[in-house]
Amino acid sequence: MLKVIALVGNPNVGKTTIFNALTGMRQHVGNWPGVTVEKKEGIMEYRGEEYLVVDLPGIYSLTAHSVDELIARNFILEGNAEVIVDIVDSTCLMRNLFLTLEIFEMGAKNVVIALNKFDLTKKKGIIIDVEDMEKVIGVPVIPTNAKSGEGLERLKRTIVMMAEGKITTAPIIPRYDEPIEREIEHVSALLKETPLVKKYPLRWLAIKLLQRDEEVIKLVLKHLGRAKMDEILRHVGELEDYYKRSLDIVIASQKYEFLERLLRRFVRHVAEVRETFSDQLDRVLTHPVYGMLSLLIVFYALFQFVFTLGAPLQELLDGAFSALGEMLGLYIGNEALRGLIVDGIIGGVGSVLSFFPLVFLLFVGMSILEDTGYMARMAAMMEKYMRMFGLPGKSIIPMVLAFGCNVPAIMATRTLENERDRIITMLINPLVPCVARMTVITFLAGTFFPERKAIVAVSIYAMAIALALLSALLLGRLVVRGEDIPFVFELPDYSIPSWKTVILHSWERSKEFLHKAGTVILAGSIAVWFLSSYPEQVGTGTSYAEMLGRTFEPLAKLMGLDWKAAVSLIFGIIAKENVIATYNVIYGVSGEALGEVMASTMTPLQAYVLALVTTLYMPCIATIGAIRAEGGNRWALVAVMYNLLLATVVGIVVYTMGSVL
Amino acid sequence: MLLTALREGEEGVVVDILGSPNVRARLIALGIAPGVRIRVIKAQGPGPMIIAVGALRVAIGWGIANKIVVRRV
Repeated sequence: MLKVIALVGNPNVGKTTIFNALTGMRQHVGNWPGVTVEKKEGIMEYRGEEYLVVDLPGIYSLTAHSVDELIARNFILEGNAEVIVDIVDSTCLMRNLFLTLEIFEMGAKNVVIALNKFDLTKKKGIIIDVEDMEKVIGVPVIPTNAKSGEGLERLKRTIVMMAEGKITTAPIIPRYDEPIEREIEHVSALLKETPLVKKYPLRWLAIKLLQRDEEVIKLVLKHLGRAKMDEILRHVGELEDYYKRSLDIVIASQKYEFLERLLRRFVRHVAEVRETFSDQLDRVLTHPVYGMLSLLIVFYALFQFVFTLGAPLQELLDGAFSALGEMLGLYIGNEALRGLIVDGIIGGVGSVLSFFPLVFLLFVGMSILEDTGYMARMAAMMEKYMRMFGLPGKSIIPMVLAFGCNVPAIMATRTLENERDRIITMLINPLVPCVARMTVITFLAGTFFPERKAIVAVSIYAMAIALALLSALLLGRLVVRGEDIPFVFELPDYSIPSWKTVILHSWERSKEFLHKAGTVILAGSIAVWFLSSYPEQVGTGTSYAEMLGRTFEPLAKLMGLDWKAAVSLIFGIIAKENVIATYNVIYGVSGEALGEVMASTMTPLQAYVLALVTTLYMPCIATIGAIRAEGGNRWALVAVMYNLLLATVVGIVVYTMGSVL
Repeated sequence: MLLTALREGEEGVVVDILGSPNVRARLIALGIAPGVRIRVIKAQGPGPMIIAVGALRVAIGWGIANKIVVRRV
């Protein structure tokens, strides 16, 4: 077992850059068990020894109010880490050390503080006496500048020394007012009689109880019983009456006061910088008019960056795999084997890989937006509008990207901080029509409504978007519960991203996508090949796919559709443009001729319903793969079921209403 | 008085924070706690308020800003 080093710190302190510097290329991106929160691990090498570096989620404190905070808190509590590296923004010590004090309060002793962005302190008129700070705080403090690499060698050395037990520390523990300290002592004495004493620092449990921390109340209740718990909570109530405020506020503000006194012992402010360049930029970029204008430009740029750059690469890869398949096909005599390899496997692998450029470019674009600090401004501006549908401001990005392709759009939900928001955004995203569905919509609209094709196509788009937003409200109430994250967040200073971090990070995340989404896409591709080739080729009317279509015909009938539509929709799961391609195969004609044949067998209303159902009914296999990669099997299944149900209901309603009119 | 009563450029000291435990915890973690001095950078909608807490800039929705009790200094 490798010794574990955990990185902890506020968001925007340069934690990722330090993580990359410690681990280099040897890293792995995954999820924490059971939740859709990103987990990064990497191997650090120092003089031939290897250590496992775990990057905990970026957090401001260790309450039980968010999944991120709970993950970090439990990780520290369980004592899994040999060394905890607390990464601190030197220009913002007050808020950053608040987290440090909470870590100390949890009984962690093996802590190294990396005083990052140390180079910026001079510019901001802050002088930190590092030696004094070490004495006051009680653990090693290493000034670093992650972007340039300064101080990182010393940081490594200190981490390793601590891991070997060569450094003894004396972390400072905050003290509170007399009445609070008395109550902490009282509660600790009660807890001493329970088995909790072996696993948890009692002082921390006591403080958390005073702050009415739900998780800790649940934990302690099991061991202490109702009566004693009620007694503690009564005391908390009395103290709150005494202070005329809730105790979580009182304890926090006393912690800040304690911190302020500490800071005076090692920090000097020589000059207070009033208005910064970032402030001036914010005036423009969050301005009601110029801000919105720049937002549109950024959206446009991101969209172009991902799709205009990505689409040719995607086609290139797709073409290369088709060519490879054809070439191999010549050498395989056995027809069944040839079908499996060429259409099933190579086709599947090809479509997996063809998404790689899109996903990679998306991650690069998102990293740039995050690291420059613009993402936070975008979130701030959109918050009000997206909140109307129970979504956070940042969720506008996946919604906009979905018009291009849902796969990178789903991957973009990764930047949403709150797990609940992430899942809802992921679930509604497939409802927004991508380019593939646009081709189906425009083909059907053009064939059946030549006079009014634009308005017909727009009506389908409008319905899909409205359903997506309504679904966000509905799913937020029914399926995914969770507390609303209050609208308050940090606006980090604008800065130039570290390219190494951007590229490395995007690469790791895209690899993760291939790994997790790839199996779904490949399996789907093989399954559909099988359905369409056995017992006879599709088009003969006896393939499994066509049999399946006939089975679903009664359901399709309710929407005015027949088995041909059902079969087309089955093939559409692989890629939505297949819906029309399947009609090509069934009727044996394509292009305008297909339009004529379809026009003679379908009414405009039926075509309208087909376009609508194609838009809504089910995410394509690659999108399902992406949802699985981000949210796991459970949410991928929910997305499929929900979309199927919604499309069926909407299809039936629109057809019935259309028939009556 | 409430934070929303401060104008652009004005400073205040936080006196109390109202609202749910979730809201309070989030504000405190961002450094907005009783006794802390803050300055208003942007106080005009649409879009959130922006305030300075030390070197830190925080965007606050109007609903939350109305939960922060301050004293003008």
